[in-house]
Amino acid sequence: MRVTLKIPIVTTFFLAYVIALSFIPLAHQTFVAQSSWLGYGTGAYAFQSPTYFVLFNDPYDGSSKPNIHVNPTFAPNERISLVEFSDWTSYVNGFNLFNDFNVTMNISKTSRSRLEATYTRPGLVVHKFVDVSAAGQVIVGLQTSKEMVAHIEMWKWLMTSINGFTIQDTLKPKLIPITQRINFTFRDQTFLTSGGGSIELSRVPNQIEVWPFEGGFNRVTVDFINSEMTFTVSGTTANTQQKSPIWNYTDLPYALPIIAVTVASLYLLVEHYGRKGKDHTRRSRS
Amino acid sequence: MEGRVKITLAALAVRLAIAPFFMHSGDMGSIYESSRIALSGGNLYDFVYQQTLQMQHATGLPIFFEGYAYHPLLIYFFIPFYWLFTLIAGNSPVIIGGHYPSLPVLIYPWSPLVIMMLKIPIILADVAIVYLLAGSDLKKARYYAFCPYIVFISAVWGMFDAIVAVFLLLSYLTFTKKSHFLAGFCFGISLVKLYTVVLLPLFVIRLLGRWRALGEFLLGLLITLVPVAYYMIVSPDTFWNVLVIFQGTRVMGGVNLYNFIWTVMDVHFDLQVSRIPNILLLVGIAYLLLRHGRKLPMLEAMLAIMFLSFLFGKVLNEQFLVSIFPLILLCKKCDRRLWIAPFAFIFLRSPFYYFAIPILWASPYFYDLYFQADTLWKSLQTGGYLLMPMYAVGVAFSLLLLYNLLQVLKAPRLKLV
Repeated sequence: MRVTLKIPIVTTFFLAYVIALSFIPLAHQTFVAQSSWLGYGTGAYAFQSPTYFVLFNDPYDGSSKPNIHVNPTFAPNERISLVEFSDWTSYVNGFNLFNDFNVTMNISKTSRSRLEATYTRPGLVVHKFVDVSAAGQVIVGLQTSKEMVAHIEMWKWLMTSINGFTIQDTLKPKLIPITQRINFTFRDQTFLTSGGGSIELSRVPNQIEVWPFEGGFNRVTVDFINSEMTFTVSGTTANTQQKSPIWNYTDLPYALPIIAVTVASLYLLVEHYGRKGKDHTRRSRS
Repeated sequence: MEGRVKITLAALAVRLAIAPFFMHSGDMGSIYESSRIALSGGNLYDFVYQQTLQMQHATGLPIFFEGYAYHPLLIYFFIPFYWLFTLIAGNSPVIIGGHYPSLPVLIYPWSPLVIMMLKIPIILADVAIVYLLAGSDLKKARYYAFCPYIVFISAVWGMFDAIVAVFLLLSYLTFTKKSHFLAGFCFGISLVKLYTVVLLPLFVIRLLGRWRALGEFLLGLLITLVPVAYYMIVSPDTFWNVLVIFQGTRVMGGVNLYNFIWTVMDVHFDLQVSRIPNILLLVGIAYLLLRHGRKLPMLEAMLAIMFLSFLFGKVLNEQFLVSIFPLILLCKKCDRRLWIAPFAFIFLRSPFYYFAIPILWASPYFYDLYFQADTLWKSLQTGGYLLMPMYAVGVAFSLLLLYNLLQVLKAPRLKLV
């Protein structure tokens, strides 16, 4: 049986319009969204490099300031959180970074890969920046005009070891030997894959403390007194995983054109056969 | 009792029974805050503008505070009922933080009462529509009275598109009875939500050559614009920013084919892309007006313009269809089942705190249920699972609007002098 559809020109135009627009997210992801800070409608910013996805939350949320994710090689669209800096639990001169400061954010005028956040309160201004380097590292920096007493917390659910310390020998929060390099390993619960990361400090801190939580460590805190400090974060995951990803939010741009074509086809079929049905009904009534 | 009165009272009873227990926290919160500001003599637009400036300063992004961005007339529908509430409960705030995309704090037992009071003008608008429709066809009135979508938008969410709907319906009815002053006046009040403004050129083009009628229409319209003129004089920058720049530079989306943009996390890019439908809207309206504006019957012409504006207007929220739903019921060419798509969309898009309060917060047991459901909803949302059916429903609704547009354009032509 041969089926022919007569499609009005307006419908043809509109269907083509629907399908063409459905490719916009894919085009954006492919050509625009790489290696530049992008602002969300909520006020948050995100950066996608070939290796890392970095989220810097909006000023009304103290978490993810920033949250550095690594894209695993076995699933480049997936994101595994490597380290999350938290303003909720970090302090400068005894003032909480989220509750006690006004924050303004903007992309650096000199580099699209650098996000700057200025924390202001009477008598104190702290500059934080997040720079995703071409060398495959994420640099988080803090600067003030005069010396600050800072307590910075970095979270990860969960680290299996930090600088060689494991949960077996660390049942309580523990100060570990002072160093400028923090190495950690982790096991991701979603994909059951392992990985490792490092945080390199530009200055010698006063203390580093690790915090055990349910079979691993969930945070590492760094206290320092200085006018500046940078944390250079890098990490990778193993190439193998025990659980394959089926679906991820970042797959959406591929799904949208399929949905558009499917719904458009259904519309044509319903419109065609609906009309035939109506004609048939009318004929049989007459 | 007369059937018309019965159906009207039944519609009223259903809505009043539901009204105190639910609300769209963002929109009801906004109306509540605006009523408080207006009753205390404050400038509504100053508050919204200050919030916008603060957000833009903090984020460095062209984002806007979504507060009272409506015609100044709108708040006068709510103020008398809020004032009555304050006579009972006093002036202390009973919904705190309802403006923000977070959970508001509700003060019991007053919050259900204030929600009820603020919904009364919306419910009265709904009931007036039922009464008007029942005058010509009881079945249509019954359909409107008990349509789950209409009841949800007005009585559950507490959105005021029914006010737009009743005045748009009145403007159509008075226009066809050649009461042009009243038509202009009612149309002017329907602009409390600005999206019906696309109909203005249609009214004008229909009256071209009948200068007295056109003058009466414009006079009626101008009277409703007096508060606009007041704000344009008193605080021009604020008013312009809140009403025009915000509405003009919104990122597209809603129950339409454009909601894919919600997956593109780049506000500058989103704003650029959002210009595409604007261009098509202007071209489409110009074409419809010139080709069909004076030839189609008024009802079909109004629906054609509104369908087109829904197709190419960049924002089409779930509740917008309410505004033309009485006209759809009056039109023989339209499919009244159009409401199903935006109704389905509500449950895909909205977290439970958008409407399942205050009832779900009234007891720890209910709150626990709410919390579980909300957690599930958020995990589906952040996983991207809900965005796919939302996009599918958006595209499907756009295509249904196109189908209805093409149907109304087939209506028999008039010979206008």
